[in-house]
Amino acid sequence: MKKMILSLIVAIPLLISAQTKVGDNHASAPGLKCLTCHSCPIPTKENPCLKPCPREGMIRIDQKPEDGPKIIIIDKFKKQSDLYMPVRFSHLAHAEMSEMGGGCRMCHHYNPPGNVIGCSECHEVSRKRADVSKPDLKGAYHRHCMDCHRAWTGGTDCNYCHLPNGANRPLPEKSKADESKKRIHPKVETPEKILFSTNTNYGKTVLFRHQEHNKVFGFDCSDCHSNESCVKCHKAQKTIEVSKLSAADKHKKCLECHDTKSSCNMCHSNKETNAFDHMAKTGFDNSKFHGELACIRCHTTKGKFTGLSPDCNSCHGIWTQSNFNHKITGVVLDETHSGAECKDCHQEKNFAKPVCTNCHDDKSFPANVPGKLIPKGWIPIKKNK
Amino acid sequence: MAHQTRRDFLKTAAIAGATLTGISSNPTKAAQQNVLSENRMGVLVDTTVCIGCRKCEWACKTAHNLPTQPLESYDDKSVFKSMRRPNDKELTVINEYPARSWDDYPTTVKVQCMHCDKPACVSACIVGAFSKVENGSVIWNGDKCIGCRYCMVACPFQIPAFEFEKALKPDIKKCDFCFDRTKEGKLPACVEICPNEVLTYGPREELVRVAHQKIQLYPKRYINYIYGENEVGGTSWMYLANRHFKELQFPALGGSPAPGVSEAIQHGIFAYFVPPIALYALLGGVMWINKNRKPSDSDSEGRHE
Ligand code: SF4
Ligand code: SF4
Ligand code: SF4
Repeated sequence: MKKMILSLIVAIPLLISAQTKVGDNHASAPGLKCLTCHSCPIPTKENPCLKPCPREGMIRIDQKPEDGPKIIIIDKFKKQSDLYMPVRFSHLAHAEMSEMGGGCRMCHHYNPPGNVIGCSECHEVSRKRADVSKPDLKGAYHRHCMDCHRAWTGGTDCNYCHLPNGANRPLPEKSKADESKKRIHPKVETPEKILFSTNTNYGKTVLFRHQEHNKVFGFDCSDCHSNESCVKCHKAQKTIEVSKLSAADKHKKCLECHDTKSSCNMCHSNKETNAFDHMAKTGFDNSKFHGELACIRCHTTKGKFTGLSPDCNSCHGIWTQSNFNHKITGVVLDETHSGAECKDCHQEKNFAKPVCTNCHDDKSFPANVPGKLIPKGWIPIKKNK
Repeated sequence: MAHQTRRDFLKTAAIAGATLTGISSNPTKAAQQNVLSENRMGVLVDTTVCIGCRKCEWACKTAHNLPTQPLESYDDKSVFKSMRRPNDKELTVINEYPARSWDDYPTTVKVQCMHCDKPACVSACIVGAFSKVENGSVIWNGDKCIGCRYCMVACPFQIPAFEFEKALKPDIKKCDFCFDRTKEGKLPACVEICPNEVLTYGPREELVRVAHQKIQLYPKRYINYIYGENEVGGTSWMYLANRHFKELQFPALGGSPAPGVSEAIQHGIFAYFVPPIALYALLGGVMWINKNRKPSDSDSEGRHE
């Protein structure tokens, strides 16, 4: 009996702490789908049917390179391996290099909300183990390294990172760089535009406006460059010239948004194509209220950018005084006007310049303002992609 | 030469007869072990993460006291220019298959004995020199081998190799799943050294489950096939790949165990109720001659390995 009570005393706080831990994790990950982590629809405590490594939606770290550790000495295998000495890994350099390809998540492919977790929290140090559903630590490290280094050095040269055990040499000179204060890998600047020459009948050149795709169309680097290896930019190693690529490969990236089969002239031309101008192309000026939005917010069918009506209500539903915050237009309505109906002043479907003549014979906008003007420079819409 | 051969024949037939008589009086010793334990171990080879570093080749040679060049020399990728087979000096080899597209890596594939669940080599061996043991390994016993090389003919993967260059006591050589290491609780040498853990060592049943899970979780990474899950009745070494196994020169074999050519001979002997010992003595004698002769055709075979 005594024993039972004792074990209960021990067990209860343990159980409670276990429960709250699970609860906490679930609560702080709103919007996470059950099937991201569990492979069965109704997980139970006895059978949580956890997936070995849920990835999608589970990466909650987004740090700047300088926020992470500078150097990590990988010496977890000291006892196991007699071939090589511990590796001095410049975390900073690799974090800087990964900025374009997706940042932390390029390597930290699983990190539930909370602190940044190290590789060895999931990947076991010992290769002889019961759970073989994910690679051991040595395997996990090398798979990540070699994914890029194979392309980088063009081989599998171990001595690039390792020193053979017993080698009486100092560590490679290049790693000294990470003791300095400067960046090791320069920040990658977005080119304004890139000109490709082509030999098709549609036109001699394709002008790719790179910055436009970032700033106007709202693409992040990693939308196109995710998991790209270094050799994509560093031509020192064997890479494939664009001209040697097949037509399908050349168009692969563009095809994700553009119809490359039938609208060749959109990109191919003999003279410099114009920058994208929503007003000129469609007659709808998106710069005033919609300029910060990603295309996909309105053009919801991928690759299909036509067919939207310029009438506000076609996307926004019916506006009334109660569901529309007039402040975002730059005018806060006074008491008299906030009781009026929208159509009393805005008779056009695009809610353009108001008319006053419905009620007033002698008033006109903007000479007369139906309320208070908000000073210029006030940004009406929060950046929202 | 003829005189020699006949003398040898008589001598060895007598020896073989005597040996086999001795064995037949002690049948437990004679019968080859062929156990299919539920807990047998296996290796899952994930070719999608193999980088072709050839460290496994080095480790295998080192663990088996076979002559080897220094470790750094294995960075040399020129060996990939031709397709290699495991042989008496290399129990495992890595072959490279060109990448399918410019932004892909080549596929490198490790080749060694598959440690079949229903091993043709074990069935084919008339003197029980081959055994499938508790932990899944298919191993060879030099004391029993008479050098008939039936195993080489029977093996659907052409694995057993014969030391043709050795005049005295040539052996059959093949990957033994590092039996000497695993019985001490160590990992097979190649499994231990592989930097990417391409080779996952574990209970075969668990590996099959894990392999199916991987295919289900990453359908873009793997084709939906585990080579070795069912081939010739299942093998202890199994493979995952991102392209058809035919492209990687894996033989297309059905699910039924390979009926080794020599198995038929052996069974034939028993079918006609000929006292096996007499035939064994005779057959053994013939094979003994074979073993000590250096056949010219096999000689050339030895060279283009
Ligand atoms: S050691 Fe591993 S990665 Fe290297 S070649 Fe062998 S199986 Fe492939
Ligand atoms: S692969 Fe060949 S040598 Fe290996 S167990 Fe199977 S039949 Fe025997
Ligand atoms: S298991 Fe052992 S014998 Fe077989 S290939 Fe690996 S190292 Fe060589």
